[in-house]
Amino acid sequence: MIINTVILSWVTFIYFGSAVFYIFKMVTGKEFCGSLASIIAFIGLIAQTAGLILRWFESYKMGIGHAPLSNLYESLIFFSWTTVLLYLIIEWRVKTKNLGAFVVPFAFFSMAFASFSPNVNARIQPLIPALQSNWLISHVITCFFGYAALTIACGLGFMYLLKGLEKGESPRLFFRLLPDREIVDELTYHSVVIGFIFLTLGIITGSVWAYSAWGSYWSWDPKETWSLITWLIYAAMLHSRFVRGWRGKRMAIMSIIGFASVLFTYFGVNYLPGLHSYF
Amino acid sequence: MPLKMKKIFFSFFSSLKLTITLLIIIAVASILGTIIPQQYGGGESFRHLSPGLFKVFNSLQLFDMYHSVWFIILMGLLSLNLIVCSLDRFPASWKLFTAIPSPDRSKPFENLPPESVILTEKDRNEVIESVANILTKRYKKIRRKDADSATFFYGERGSYSNFGVYIIHLSSLIVISGAIIGSLLGFQAFVNIPEGESTNTVHLARQKGVKKLDFTVRCDKFSISFYDNGMPKEYRSNLSFIKDNNVILEGPLLVNHPITFNGIRFYQASYGSTPGGKAYITVIRENKEENTLKVKQRDSFYLKEKNTKVKILRIEKNLMSMGPAVLINIQSPEGNMQFWVFKHIDKIRERIPGLFKKVPKFNPGRFKPYYFKLDRIESNYYTGLQLSHDPGVVIVAIGSIFIILGLFITFFSSHKRLWVRVDEQDGKTKISVGARSNKDPVGLKREVEHLLSYFSSIG
Ligand code: HEM
Repeated sequence: MIINTVILSWVTFIYFGSAVFYIFKMVTGKEFCGSLASIIAFIGLIAQTAGLILRWFESYKMGIGHAPLSNLYESLIFFSWTTVLLYLIIEWRVKTKNLGAFVVPFAFFSMAFASFSPNVNARIQPLIPALQSNWLISHVITCFFGYAALTIACGLGFMYLLKGLEKGESPRLFFRLLPDREIVDELTYHSVVIGFIFLTLGIITGSVWAYSAWGSYWSWDPKETWSLITWLIYAAMLHSRFVRGWRGKRMAIMSIIGFASVLFTYFGVNYLPGLHSYF
Repeated sequence: MPLKMKKIFFSFFSSLKLTITLLIIIAVASILGTIIPQQYGGGESFRHLSPGLFKVFNSLQLFDMYHSVWFIILMGLLSLNLIVCSLDRFPASWKLFTAIPSPDRSKPFENLPPESVILTEKDRNEVIESVANILTKRYKKIRRKDADSATFFYGERGSYSNFGVYIIHLSSLIVISGAIIGSLLGFQAFVNIPEGESTNTVHLARQKGVKKLDFTVRCDKFSISFYDNGMPKEYRSNLSFIKDNNVILEGPLLVNHPITFNGIRFYQASYGSTPGGKAYITVIRENKEENTLKVKQRDSFYLKEKNTKVKILRIEKNLMSMGPAVLINIQSPEGNMQFWVFKHIDKIRERIPGLFKKVPKFNPGRFKPYYFKLDRIESNYYTGLQLSHDPGVVIVAIGSIFIILGLFITFFSSHKRLWVRVDEQDGKTKISVGARSNKDPVGLKREVEHLLSYFSSIG
């Protein structure tokens, strides 16, 4: 195995450790666990960054140099990288560690899927002609930052609903430790906005790529269509907030539905009849 | 009653319920479209499964749903919804944009948090002048009102923020109209051109049938190159565009690098090989190379020997998974003899010991004292081109750029309006700051804190 895949499979375990400590922190309320979880996640992020850069170098050493964003393995790695990066930024800005228990597991699952699924090929492969495009790189980057923000929104949605379960005078401990529902709602909204903007940019850069590679900026291919469906779901969500003032539980549910659509755009589409599912 | 009709029409099309309903219907229809195969004979497999269902689906245009009448109607309704909504709201937004509220409103100063009020020992008139200075530097549309007991200021920034939504909505309409223009006035077509040949007739993709171009495209050469691991690295067609027998444009066409000629974009879409090809055969006589020939199928040539004619019967790129091979017939006074000449004959013999005994027809030295060697085969390729003419692209591109602009204005700017009052309290000069914003309360709070820090440095 090449060194970068070794590093990246370690990162899987690092994120697992971080997720476990975030959950401990949420359940026990021990600040110590939270700090440890953040530090572990940060170490994981640095190792992952190093792994990605190494992979990039290795591809150049093989004479087929390209950014590590070209197949399912690399996209899964990049997805967890953007998710953890964005999460740590939010944690640092908002100063709450409870969200980690809802977000870092996604990064772990993605890494685990990339590293251990027999269906995912970790080898560095050269780029077939259709993928030799800078627009494709900007497309992947914008899409995955969008996916990361929407993953965080989904985590917040779960958090909101979980908090909704609290009843009576003395809620069990970890419910009390979650931030205020209003803050969760506000954070969900901001994450969705960021995700929506990146999604829009992702769709646009994707069509520019399609316009130079596939003969049409939009050909209603399942992947394109599903990205539009996802976009419409989030547009409907934002509109119901702007104009009808939907808040709270409805937003939480919408953010989970929207994320399901993101996941389907990402994975499910490969099971539909299509022209160019490039994974 | 036309007036009542108009009202009903307006209230129907200006409702957000309609928008959300339409967005959801379009989303669901799009989901269907990814399950039911679309276009290019997508329905054919369906026809066999269930002819009855096929008829129903076909009449609903479910096999080309994104171009169907009802899908276009949905888009039209959405656009109408958007237009009516915008018309409905625009006057209010415009008023908000142009109007300047009076500085001495009392509302903004109600329930001010204590940190929004500063008391200072400084002289009131001095403070008023400093406040006026600070405000004019930071804000627009400054208004001032001097009353007996107090001086009031109003200032604002980011009043354009209210138009972000209109920009997004208008640009969405622009994108939709660009897409419709493209599908009405544009076309997609494809054509296969063998190397060395030219054509001016292409096959339309959606409309079916053929289309004659007013120029000719020639494929001079097609080539593929591979990476070491066998994955394709580059598909390249050398094309010439010819008008009135003059080559106007010449160039390589690669995937991701389309060529535009006469408003039509050409894409490298596929390739294939035409039957036959060229073979390079070396003739060896008594271990001495005589010459190497480049031959096509049905070519023939003579050997030095006594009226002996060699004819190429077949050229195979991969015969029985054993690689390139050529079938030749040798006609000599002794009669006819046929055998295959494999390119990798040495390897094949290693794998199958005693091959020539078992299959004499695979022996390239069967006609003594000659030995034939197949150096390589050059396939004849055809290149598969996709053509696209879409006059809506520019419109869609402009719309997309403005959508992004509109998103940034909508989400990253806000209309901040500030009221400042300078008066006296207990012999001290008092500055109070009230503020309103259309969104982003956090940003507004920061803005107020900023302003207050300026004010407190006056004193
Ligand atoms: C093509 C897609 C879109 C359609 C069909 C659409 C349609 C509408 C409609 C019909 C309204 C209601 C207007 C009213 O009640 O007066 C509305 C409001 C609004 N839309 Fe959109 N919209 C679209 C895209 C967007 C996008 C991408 C955004 C940005 C995220 C956006 C932001 C808003 C906002 C902020 C409002 C509220 C306006 C207000 O309260 O003044 N819209 N939209």
